[in-house]
This record gives sequence, structure tokens and C-alpha cells, in this order.
Amino acid sequence: MTRLADLSPRAGWLPFEPTATQPFDRRAAAHLFRRAGFAATFSELDQAVARGPQATIQKLLAGEAEHAAFAAGMQQFATSVLGRNDTAAIASWWLYRMRHTPAPLLEKTMLFWHGHFATSAAKVNDARLMLQQNSLLRQQALGDFAALVKGIGRDPAMLLYLDSATNRKTRPNENFAREVLELFCLGPGNYTERDIQQLARCYTGWEIQNNAFKFSSYQHDTGSKEIFGRSGNFDGDSALPIILAQPAAARFLCTKLVRFFVADEQFVTADWIEPLARQLQESQFQIQPVLSTILSSSVFFSSAARGAKVRSPVELTIGFLRAFDAGANLQSLVESLRGLGQLPLFPPNVKGWNGGREWINASTIVARANLMRQLIEGAAGRFGGTSLVDWLEHHDLKTGNEIVAGLSDLLLPVEPPAPMREQLAAGFAATKDREAAAQRALHQLCTLPEFQLA
Amino acid sequence: MNSLTRRQFLADVSAASTTAGLVSLASSTPLFLMQSAALGAEQRGENILVVVQLTGGNDGLNTVIPYKDERYRRSRPSLAQDSSSIIKLKDDLGLHASLRGFGKLWEAGQLAVVQGVGYPNPNRSHFESMDIWHTASLKQTDRTSGWLGRTFDQLRAAGTVELSSPAMHLGGDVQPLALASRDVPTPSISSLSQFKLQTGKSEAERKALEAAMTTPRSNPSDLLNFVTTRSTAAVKLSNRLQEATKDYSTSVQYPASPLAEKLKQVAQLIDAGLGTRVYYVTLDGFDTHSDQAAAHANLLQQLGEALSAFQEDLKLHGQDGRVVSLVFSEFGRRVQENSSRGTDHGAAAPVFLLGAKIKAGLIGRHPELDDLDDGDLKFHTDFRSIYSSLLANWLHWPVKAAFGEQLPGIELFPA
Repeated sequence: MTRLADLSPRAGWLPFEPTATQPFDRRAAAHLFRRAGFAATFSELDQAVARGPQATIQKLLAGEAEHAAFAAGMQQFATSVLGRNDTAAIASWWLYRMRHTPAPLLEKTMLFWHGHFATSAAKVNDARLMLQQNSLLRQQALGDFAALVKGIGRDPAMLLYLDSATNRKTRPNENFAREVLELFCLGPGNYTERDIQQLARCYTGWEIQNNAFKFSSYQHDTGSKEIFGRSGNFDGDSALPIILAQPAAARFLCTKLVRFFVADEQFVTADWIEPLARQLQESQFQIQPVLSTILSSSVFFSSAARGAKVRSPVELTIGFLRAFDAGANLQSLVESLRGLGQLPLFPPNVKGWNGGREWINASTIVARANLMRQLIEGAAGRFGGTSLVDWLEHHDLKTGNEIVAGLSDLLLPVEPPAPMREQLAAGFAATKDREAAAQRALHQLCTLPEFQLA
Repeated sequence: MNSLTRRQFLADVSAASTTAGLVSLASSTPLFLMQSAALGAEQRGENILVVVQLTGGNDGLNTVIPYKDERYRRSRPSLAQDSSSIIKLKDDLGLHASLRGFGKLWEAGQLAVVQGVGYPNPNRSHFESMDIWHTASLKQTDRTSGWLGRTFDQLRAAGTVELSSPAMHLGGDVQPLALASRDVPTPSISSLSQFKLQTGKSEAERKALEAAMTTPRSNPSDLLNFVTTRSTAAVKLSNRLQEATKDYSTSVQYPASPLAEKLKQVAQLIDAGLGTRVYYVTLDGFDTHSDQAAAHANLLQQLGEALSAFQEDLKLHGQDGRVVSLVFSEFGRRVQENSSRGTDHGAAAPVFLLGAKIKAGLIGRHPELDDLDDGDLKFHTDFRSIYSSLLANWLHWPVKAAFGEQLPGIELFPA
């Protein structure tokens, strides 16, 4: 496979072309689905292998275009959940969606945007408003970044979260303006305090009344503002192109995308980011083109990118459930994710989730191990509707070694060391109390350090 | 707990230690050095620092209040505290009424209030200012390791390391940058009771699971190595903590708050004699941009009650002579309240030190309310002076690694 030393940005972002030494096999497909979704079943992997990488990626990018029935069903489900005004119920609704969606890249990208435009239900405490924001993000997740920012600037949940429900001409709300620049568009250090103050004036009159956006023209400052060297009577919408024209904007966004989809700690130097940033700017900040480049690239499929990310708690759990087509108690999943620090709709702060190595500490390691045990034991009788032993047989995995090799293809980005493979094979080959022994061996596999990586 | 277990704990908890058959890293310190030094640390009953971080930017002006100052009342039409309710520290300065716990500690001569703490060119971004307090570095390029983390690295490098893992972070939140270090990882645990690896019914099962989680890889990537070493350390820590805290009990009634729960566990760990020198906990929610009054009062109440119970618990177990608590926040808030009955990010604020051995009282004057820096209180005491004194005079650790430059001294302990 392509070694790190052989990768250059120029070649790296070119489309991946499978070869004998670097095939698009089950492992490569599993890697794709782990990153561009939440893992996949053997059946989905085999279908992807047959289709080839580019076709599979295009299908993922199409989102819910071919799945109107699913989307409609989820809407209905959401409406019924809303009756309780229970934000944790909305979280479990979203987890259900992640678990069952036929468009996993859309939901995965939504998770990215949710972290980027972080808003916490703990503070907003209104299920309808959180769902409204969720829908806004889903509309544009694979679409238009500028539309996302414009939409989020009018989103009641966001404005309430940032204490920006009022924004008066005489006392402009700097908090929202700061976050637009620091968190949404440019990243820290790429603007001055003055830019914040001037931008705050652009957003005056953008308010929330009765949980809905209302533009109060009386409160809007119509004077001239100066932002990044340009002067004019800008408002939140007309200031946006000026902000996005800053070179830092495309770089900031592309860096985050590479970190989220490719590797926690690599390929984010200027030489790697520049080509993507250029593409994002040239496409007027449309997400699809640059995401397509990233996912279909050589570097994405290279060995350097395999196992180059720490799996987030959501990826770990939803990934397990999807890979085995297993059922789970959503309520207890909500509690477990809360304990692991990643309950969707409840980000810890405005920065969302930093991810990467921060997912791993003594506490989370123990919590993950215990959670996997719970999921496996709880899934009993529900591995695709059957027992684990039956599920293994159904997938033609008979001997201990076959099982370990198959599960490694399905679940692990890199092979575990030989002594571990032997230990697991022995566990799976046990003849007494087969189901219990198999579950124990699967649990061990799911506590391997390799399993913590994507 | 017998001394062998303690030695093992200290050696095992560090992911960089060399233990037969487990992880081996190039820069590890020979095990015997750590063992003997560690034994010495407990036997000497070395001092402990508990850091309590108030996340979000605590409104210092409504915490330590110049209640007779007209300018205070004028700037805070809805938020100014009623003079009659204030807990008086002296005739023109007092604590917010909800900080009763601190009031008790003041009476007992166990509270020091350092006023006007900050740093030059205050930064009003949450994350940048917090990073500055964590790294003690004012330069943006230099913010990857913490003031404590760098000290641990220096102790390790000098070979005079007293402990292989000198600190512990208690909390489910992300590990504070203050502890980030190149070679000395600090464990983060969210709660002692949940921190138990479920290993199944049989010994064979337990062994198999632990093998899965700790077997070293022969040529791991950086990230895989990181996960493996953390995983190994987690297993060891889980075992040792179960062992260490089996026989603890306390008669102190801690309030039912998250901070109190954390400090109760800290007290337990201190009593277990693990030899950890620094415990780090956080209390979040201080970013009160709107409707501050009730939220701030609740937080201060939680803070005061938790620390008061903690001090009492330490005293009961004979540990109060060796523990100092530091309470800080990443910036204060603006003098003028805003249009949402809240306050926005500011600059200088007070820092608190608690303990039986600190020099109790007020340190420094309250910043002048008519001499502001763009609407913010001006600092006169650099927070790094406080860190420096805690390192040198309390923990007896080298100061040079933490701070590049010479800082003005500050007297936190009686001569």
C-alpha cells in the first residue's frame, strides 16, 4: 500500500485507483464506511466492492435523494416524539436515524456540522427548536456552507444558546459576532477585536421573539461598517461573502474536514490544505465537491490514513450496531453516550467536540470496555435477529481463524498482533457454551486498542 | 493499604513506566528510582495541591465585592448585591452572600483572597484566555503543554522524579491543558465508583480481557501506541483504585452537588496515601452573559459548600496540614452589566487559596473601579506569580520549566 513517504499533496488528492497491491477490497470498503458513515455490514461491504470506490462514494454523496420514504418516516417519528418536549428523546431519535439511515454520509456529515455549529439542548431546553436546527443542518449538510451560516444566524436554538436572542443597535451583541468569526468561519487569531465589533453591528436587529426569528428594523444599525478593509452598510448576510473571501475561511473549513474524515493529526499542513481550500473557494463554498475530492482520494485510502483516527463514542456504538445489524436499547445508549462525553445535541461547549486523542483517557477506556460488553450481551438474540453463533455461521465464518480474520476485516482498521489473533481464535473455537464463549471473544476484540481506531 | 501495593500503583499508573512484560518506551525512568522515591514521598507526607477551576469566567466583582463603592452600584443596576446580605471580610469588602462556605473558612483563618489577578494584554476569547492560564504562556505559539505538565517533564528529565504520575484529573470533561505534558500522562477519571472494569465471572476471563487491552504492539503507529499505553494504564488504575478505596469512610455530610462529589473522592484518594501531588477538578457554568443573578448565586453556593465540606473532611482525617486548594477562573467579567442582566468577558479577578497552612487574609488591593482598561478591571498581580509560589514554596518543585521569565514574588505562606 502507499507508504507515507510516497504521498505528496499533488498525488494525494487525486482519485484512488485500486491496484493488486492496493485493492478496493472488504477492508478498504470497511474503512470508507467507517469514515463516511458509521461502519457497515458484510453485505454492504460486498456490494461496495462490486460497485467500486468511486461509484460507492457518489452514492453516499447523493444523501437521501433516493430515500424519500425513509426521510418522510423519520419526520413523522420526530413529530410524535416532540409531543413530550423531551430533548433527550430528540437525541435518541437522531441516534435511531444514524442507526437506520440508508444515507450514512449525510448523517455523519451532520454530526460534523452539529459539532461545528455547536448548540446544546442542555441550555436551549426546547425539543422543537433543537429539531428545527437539526433539520436546517440536514438540508445543507452536503450543500452550501454560506446558506448554513445564514440559516444558523437566524436559528432560534443557536441564538438562544449564544445568549444572542437580542441584539440592539445601542448595545451590539459581540458574543455572536465573535463566534461567527472564531468558531464558524475563520478560526481563532484571524480577525481583530474591531472586526468583531463591526460585525456585531451587522447583526443588530436579528432577534428571537416567541421562539422565532424576527428582524427588528428599528434595532438594526444601518450605518457604515468596516470589515476586513471593506466599508458599507452591511448586515449579517452581506457581511458573509467578505468573511468567506478571507483566505483563512476556506483553509479553516478544509482543515476541519480533513481532521474529521481523513486523519486526526496528519495532512493538515498548508501544502495539503491549499488545494482543497482553492477548490472550496472556487465552488463558492459548496461542500460536495471538496468532500468528494477528500473521500475519493489516494491519501484517504492510503495505509497512512487507516487507523489514523480515534473513533468517537457515537462511531463506536452506532458502528457496532450497524456492522452486526444489531438492536439496542436506545434509552440506555443515550445514557452511555452521555457518560462517554458525546451525547448528540448535548455538546460540552461552543467548540463542540475536539475529538482525536481527547476521546481516550483512563475513564473512557474503562467506560468503552464496559459499554461494549453491554451492547454485546444486550444484543443477544438480535445479531441480525439471531444469536452471535448463528450470525457467524450465516456469514460463512466457521473456524476460529476464519472468524477472527472476517471480524478483523469488518471491524478493525489494522490487524491485531498474532498472540491476540490466537487468543481470540481459541475463544471463538470453543465447543462448550458456544454462544457465551463467542460473546466473550467478541468483547475482547472490541476492547483491543485497534478497535478504538477508525 | 500495604506499601507494596502503593509502590506498584505509582509505578503502574504511569504509562511510561517499564514493568515486566508490558509497555516499554525509550525515555522511561528506571523503575527502582521511582519505587524508592515514591516510597519516600508518602512517608514524608508530601504536600498536595488541589486545583479548582471555575470554567467560563467567574464574575469576580460580584464574588469579592467593594460593597460601599458607589461606582459598583451604578455599574450593576440589577446585579449589585445588597450590602446587608454580604459576608464582610473587612469594612468595605465582602463576599457574595451565597459564598457562606468561604465565609466559614475566612473565620477559621483558612482563606486567602488574592485580588486583581490577571496578566498583561487581557484576551477575551474564552479558549485563548483559558489556554493562557493553563500554559502560563502569553505567546500564542507556545501553548501545547501546561504549567504543571512542563514541571512533570522537568522532574522526569532530572531523574529526581518523586512520582511517576504526580497528578490526577477528576471529572468527565476533557483533561485540562494545565496537565498536558510530553512524557508524563495524567490519568483522568470521571468517578471512582464507575471506574471499575467489568471483567466477568472468572479469573481466566479477566486475564483474557486484560490481555486484549494491554498487550504491547511491536510496531504501532503513533496513535495506536497512544491508545495502547492509555489502555494499559487504565487497566492498572482500575485495579489499584478498587484496592485503595475499599476501606474508606467519612462522617462529613457533603452537599449533593457535582463539585462536592468530586472533592469527596479527592479526599478519599488523599487519605488512601497514593502519593498523588496534584488533583484537578473543574466547576463549569460561570459564563453568565444573561440573567446572571440566580445562576451565579447557585454556583457560588455550590463552590463554598463543597470546599467547606472538603476542608472539614481533610481535617477529620488528619490531612489538612498538607493540602492547599487553589480556586481560579480564566478571566473576570466587565464592570458594567449588559442589557440582558448579565455580564460579558472581562479581565482581572480574584483568586482564592484555601488550607490550614496558607497565609490567610487579603493579598493586594481591590482594583480601582474608576481606573478601568476599556471597561475592565486592571490587574496588579500576575497569575504566574501565584503558580510560581505554589510550585516553589508548597510543592517544592522546580519553577524554571513552567515559566520562561522571572516573575515578581508573592507571599502565599507565612515566612
